[in-house]
Amino acid sequence: MKKGSFLIVLCCVLISLRINAQKTNDTITLETVEITDSLIKRTPFVMAKIDKSQLLSVSVSDIGEYLRKIPNVSGIRKGGGAIDPVVRGFKFSQLNVVMDGGIKIENGCPNRMDPVSSHVEAEDIEKINVIKGPFLLDFGPVLGGVIDLQTEQPCSFQKFELHANALLGYESNWDGQKGHLSVHGGNKKIYFRLNGGFRKYGNYQSGSYDVESATYNSSFKKYNFGAKVGFTLTPKQNILVTFAEVHGRDVLFPALTMDEKSDDTQIMAIDYSAKNISKTIKSFNVKLYRSQVHHIMDNSNRENWSGKQMVADVNAANTGGKAVMEMKFNLHNVTAGLDFENIFKDGTRTMSMQMMGTTSTKKYNLWQEASIQNAGLFARYNTHIRAFVIDFGLRADFNKADSKDTLKIIYNGVDYFNKLNSEFINLSANIGIIRNINKNISMSLAIASGTRSPNMLERYIKLLTIGYDNYDYLGNPQLKPETNYEADLTIKYLNEITGNLYLNGFYSYVNDYISAVLLPSSVVMPATQGVPGVKQFINVDHAIYTGFEMGYTSPQMYKPGGSIVAALTYGFIPTVTKYTITENQVTGATIIKNDALPEIPPFETTINVHYRFLSGKLIPKISYRLVAGQHHVSEASFEPETPGFSLLNVSLVYKVNRTIGITAGINNVFDRSYYEHLNRKIIGTTEKLYEPGRVFHIQINLEI
Amino acid sequence: MKCDFCSGILIALFAFAVSCKEDDTATAIQSGHISLSFLHLVDGLPLQKDTLKYINAAGNPYEINQVMYFISDVRLFKSDGSIKIINEWTDIHYVDIDIPATLKWEVYDDISAGSYDSLTFVFGITEEKNKSFLFVNPPEVNMMWPDVLGGGYHYMMINGKWRDTSGFVQNFAFHLGIGQLYKSNVIEVDSIYAFVQNYFSVNLPDSDFTIEKDMKIDIEIVMNIDSWFNTPHIYDHNHWGGAIMQNQPAMQIAKENGYDIFSTGDIQQR
Repeated sequence: MKKGSFLIVLCCVLISLRINAQKTNDTITLETVEITDSLIKRTPFVMAKIDKSQLLSVSVSDIGEYLRKIPNVSGIRKGGGAIDPVVRGFKFSQLNVVMDGGIKIENGCPNRMDPVSSHVEAEDIEKINVIKGPFLLDFGPVLGGVIDLQTEQPCSFQKFELHANALLGYESNWDGQKGHLSVHGGNKKIYFRLNGGFRKYGNYQSGSYDVESATYNSSFKKYNFGAKVGFTLTPKQNILVTFAEVHGRDVLFPALTMDEKSDDTQIMAIDYSAKNISKTIKSFNVKLYRSQVHHIMDNSNRENWSGKQMVADVNAANTGGKAVMEMKFNLHNVTAGLDFENIFKDGTRTMSMQMMGTTSTKKYNLWQEASIQNAGLFARYNTHIRAFVIDFGLRADFNKADSKDTLKIIYNGVDYFNKLNSEFINLSANIGIIRNINKNISMSLAIASGTRSPNMLERYIKLLTIGYDNYDYLGNPQLKPETNYEADLTIKYLNEITGNLYLNGFYSYVNDYISAVLLPSSVVMPATQGVPGVKQFINVDHAIYTGFEMGYTSPQMYKPGGSIVAALTYGFIPTVTKYTITENQVTGATIIKNDALPEIPPFETTINVHYRFLSGKLIPKISYRLVAGQHHVSEASFEPETPGFSLLNVSLVYKVNRTIGITAGINNVFDRSYYEHLNRKIIGTTEKLYEPGRVFHIQINLEI
Repeated sequence: MKCDFCSGILIALFAFAVSCKEDDTATAIQSGHISLSFLHLVDGLPLQKDTLKYINAAGNPYEINQVMYFISDVRLFKSDGSIKIINEWTDIHYVDIDIPATLKWEVYDDISAGSYDSLTFVFGITEEKNKSFLFVNPPEVNMMWPDVLGGGYHYMMINGKWRDTSGFVQNFAFHLGIGQLYKSNVIEVDSIYAFVQNYFSVNLPDSDFTIEKDMKIDIEIVMNIDSWFNTPHIYDHNHWGGAIMQNQPAMQIAKENGYDIFSTGDIQQR
């Protein structure tokens, strides 16, 4: 009923806005719709760029799901949504995921039910930039890559105008319904954008092509709203105030021990920007922000709730800011700035058990007023000299962490969890050179070292299953930062007539790699039901990531077109301990050489073919994805192998007119039963969480 | 002068080489491994469950249905006076006659080669460690002892049946854990004014053994279940009734009877 009312109101608002807009000005400002390929010509590293038109051309239930379409970007699925992105095998805090060029969000859930990308709705996104490797230091410390989620911004108009966008979508299989409305307008002094949306998905079924399909408790509900108001101070100076809220309710995760009961996120920001200040100073931008997350999860949807209850309640906040100045001296571009963030986290887990007619209750601290402060100075220099483009970046961070934990674990003279505070000064740098061999071919080499300090989880988490391996994890306050020394070699061939081609190879040597080691039960026992033991984060000497990406995109001048991409990451750790477990008892340990890193996606390739009918208004697309089996798996982590699979998706994008666009299609046409290597296991079993089976989807986009 | 400098370097290198050699020798520890096996006897014969065939010293006909218990803090006393505490990986072991995997404890710790005079352990779990939520997974979690009665976990559960003086077969729960002292002997939770730790140390008789480098030794620990009811006190089910969790005098007798219930079975090289 509520949903129906919402849709009626939404349609009425749209119609009235359309009338309004026509009254005020017959000219409708259209955003530039440009399908951008993933080849960025002027960067010596690999950067994938996704714009709004690409996001609107498919049915997206989650940003993480869409990001998996980028070569060498995969995701960890634990439920219906909130897929956690993985770039070239780097994940979690090894990636710097930011919003609007600097806003950071500290996820509330220790199980990462709410990765940063889940706090931003796909419909609010204008552009996503994915930078692979530690090559962009402007957004904070980075180890494996940057994902910059840029939301839609309001813009000023000469005279008052009012516009709107709306989206309605439906997906079969999990009865997925979504709606989104955005109203923007203003004049040259004040302008704004208001937006809101909902998303309601049921449980999905896996494919039934060759096996019986399974239904997973994966339903979720989300709603969000926000406002951005901009003020033009002078023609060169603007202020933008942002407020947004995202709420999740009853988000189920069959691969975790608990489900998300509620997740409430608030994001506030104020931006000051000045442009063309002088001949030398091109821009000066200041951003201040605060994001806060209140996350509650429990096992009330699980069979064991009647006898054993678990409830976790976490508050997380990130407050920070940055100031950046862009300067130009003839051919020399210099960007310099500073940033700061203060992360706060506090949370408890309450456990109750009924036994012999009585109830025992215990409250654990997951975090106790833990804080991390990071202050950084950064600079970037870019120029071109004849056929060469040179890019150079530098960053220095001061990182400080502390917690008010009272837990002490000292056993047999070893401090497992004792001294809580730590301070680090981290230096990161990169240099990249592009050699334009001729007008079509260029070759680039980028070398970088990126250092990141341990995160809240790795430093202070206390006894919760947060990894892929169903162990409880214990933080390590004395972890050292890890550093990625990476080299990327890229060859690009760009030709408007024959298409664009690129080939990239990368090699990463991660020093002081943050891993985890099994602790004896005499030191600490697990606190989560169904968990065989406790692992603690440690630094190991180093780990290696290497691989390649390649892609070809056909020229846009022809009616038929397509692309092909392929990617592989190979990761290993030179020395690791494997524990022998017999009848649930640890009976010994052996050293394994060159063991695979866990959670590394296998080789895959995707072929996309499309045809532009009616001058590009009607575009049918076919996408065929081939994924190899992953047989290079971690022996020490008892990681299972994953079989390969192939997948066919078809879709149709039809731009009826300037106002209405329709996207429809079928995902997983043959209803294949399959799972990605990174999908987590169903809790309490050894079976992986399968991907959804066949999904029919339709989406209507309205724009006035 | 130059020569002195060279000599100095040579001496330093030599000293370094010697010290390295000594370190290498020192770090080469000769050790083996042990495992502990658990056997359960009644009247000298392997336990036959669920059969009302036994009679204790008080004359109670009885049967045993379940036996579950913890042992912890195992210590090995070496002939040279040193003590090896088994705690490198696990310091508490759960035994359940219905779960075969629990009847053998493969000890992770390296046991240095040599002769050992005896083995001791704590029956149950010490006060320092016996806290609620220490275990959250079955089977150990099923040994939970209610918080209102002292918390933590049962040291032992022996569940069975006995035939009473009227000829009725009744259940008994011969459970050992943290005891309670009640004001005016009123057995209500609100009357509890103190708790009693009922765990005790067991010195396993005839448990001496010799272990050599890379040798594996299996030590069989035998629980003589009938001894719980016989020595030094005669335990009469008709007197104490079916459940003793809130009966400290009964648990005190069980505790005192427990000192000699264990004996050493076979000690074998594997």
